[in-house]
Amino acid sequence: MIINARNLVKRYGDLVALDHLSFSVKEGEIFGLLGPNGSGKTTAINCILSLLKYDNGEVEIFGETMTPDAYHIKRNIGIVMQNVAVYNELTVYENIDYFCGLYVRDKNLKKRLVDEAVEFVGLNEFTRFYPKKLSGGLLRRLNIACGFAHRPKLIIMDEPTVAIDPQSRNRILEGILELNREGATIIYTSHYMEEVEKICSRIMILDKGKAIATGTKDELKAMITLGEKITVESYGVTEEQLKRMRSLPNIVSVDYRDQVLEVKSGKGKNNLETVLDFIKKEGIQFGKIYCELPTLNDVFLELTGKELRD
Amino acid sequence: MQVFKLYMKIIRRNIPIMLVYVITFLVVALIMSSSMVKEQKKVASFERTKSKVAFIAEENSPLIDGFREELGKIANFIELPDETEALQDALYFRKVSYILRIPKGFTEGFMKGENVQMEKTVVPDSFSNAYIDLCIDKYFNTARLYINQMKGITQESLVQSLRLDLSESASVEVKTYGDEPADYRYGNYFFNYLSYSLFAVIIQGMGVLMLVFNNQDLKRRNTCSPVSINSINLQFLLANLVFTISSWLIMVIFTICCSSVSFLIGNLVRGYEAISAISNVVTIGPCFISGAFVPQELLGESVLRIASFTPTYWYVKANNQIAQLTRFGLLAFFAVSLVVVKKRRFE
Repeated sequence: MIINARNLVKRYGDLVALDHLSFSVKEGEIFGLLGPNGSGKTTAINCILSLLKYDNGEVEIFGETMTPDAYHIKRNIGIVMQNVAVYNELTVYENIDYFCGLYVRDKNLKKRLVDEAVEFVGLNEFTRFYPKKLSGGLLRRLNIACGFAHRPKLIIMDEPTVAIDPQSRNRILEGILELNREGATIIYTSHYMEEVEKICSRIMILDKGKAIATGTKDELKAMITLGEKITVESYGVTEEQLKRMRSLPNIVSVDYRDQVLEVKSGKGKNNLETVLDFIKKEGIQFGKIYCELPTLNDVFLELTGKELRD
Repeated sequence: MQVFKLYMKIIRRNIPIMLVYVITFLVVALIMSSSMVKEQKKVASFERTKSKVAFIAEENSPLIDGFREELGKIANFIELPDETEALQDALYFRKVSYILRIPKGFTEGFMKGENVQMEKTVVPDSFSNAYIDLCIDKYFNTARLYINQMKGITQESLVQSLRLDLSESASVEVKTYGDEPADYRYGNYFFNYLSYSLFAVIIQGMGVLMLVFNNQDLKRRNTCSPVSINSINLQFLLANLVFTISSWLIMVIFTICCSSVSFLIGNLVRGYEAISAISNVVTIGPCFISGAFVPQELLGESVLRIASFTPTYWYVKANNQIAQLTRFGLLAFFAVSLVVVKKRRFE
């Protein structure tokens, strides 16, 4: 295990930010912490890194207890903060060099690592730029480069794609996958379920400081009753017809709003066929039909009763 | 030594801002100190000034001529038409500051020992008028003395005696600021004014640094690194000392006091703009009350007592004493001697 966190409790006065949170991260995986804003993701990261004192619990990293002065452990950790943490007085290159230099003393090795990091995040043309001259996306890339330039075994990324354009986001996500392929274990926190779903091998869903589910995305989706979501553009559906539809086998819920019929079915085969047969039989006029598998948002919705982005 | 190097890089990056302060205030210091030296020279020497006087005599006599001649030593006579409006205009527009009218029959009455009067119209509250009054009093009081003592003295011999008496002059030694010798040199004023720029530079430099190093995100990011807090603090302290001592080489103790204040300010403020504002307030205030701009001798005792709590006061005081002790050439010689001695010791 790379990380083993047990029973973490962190309170801010009456507010319980972490409520007996336990999880472990295996070597070589991208572990996602998914939850809405205020769910305790950043607090969990800060507690793991000993940046925050927690009220109860234990954190082990690389098999050793993590403490504020466990510098030999910190040497193998890279951190990408939620807020961009770079020096505005230093250029792009100098920033990466500075943060890399905190971990690597050998000058030649450091230079090679810094050059590689610049290349990796695609900032070659901007090495002499000051952070204030960079766009939001480039700044985030610099922030990431400062976090992993020393090539740590474990990289912790706290919402590294907040407030940037989709193009930069895709580039960053591809970079994270590349770092993982090169052997780094990554902890990735986000409230964007698409990102987590795309890159994480295992996900923990957090809400109000509690882990409400942990597993691969398929395991998480398997936890809920929803099998698929069928959306039909249809006209003049009556209440009687909706009632009859709800009584069809394996149908979980039926909702009709603004000429859109949304049918959620349980796990099983032929759900779409059942719905289409019913529509034909009832003579309901219909247009486009979509069929979707459940998302992490559906998982979150079913487990907590609210949307992930509420 | 990453933190130390970072500190120095940030200092280097801020050199242009600090230079703006240095150059601006150096120029101001140069101009002010040179003008102060000139001013001091003026105060330390005596120069007779002449007032503009309109002299209107309604009669001519040897006594009046003699008086006019004597008054001419301290007055420039301006010719004006003897019309009320013209005379009033001349006073209003300061063409003259004193109009003296000697009425008809003045000489005769005066020689007889009668109580006679002259008419004067003056610009109010003018010190030069008092000077003219003194001259008039002196002339006619002395004349009265001769008339009373030497009955039947003629106007001619009276004027001659007066001319002889009033030609006597006393040597005057000018003392400034009471018991302080007025021997301040150019460098003295220059360094007094420099205190402002140095204080501002150190606050600017260290204030910016403290802001950078107190940035919460960067602090946390550094805390995540394998460099211990002790090491970070030690490097920071070392860099602070290097910066301070570099300045100290120029200004000795003064800069350390400034550094303490700068350190405090850097820890208290939360914005870059605030540093400039505070540095101006913190530096100008002590400079005013400590004698950087106005000599300490001219400041009140209570003001100086308050000022003695600021480093600027002691800096200026020390400067003044150094200026009295030695010339800078000697100091330069002393500095070179130290370097040579040190070099020999190494060899």
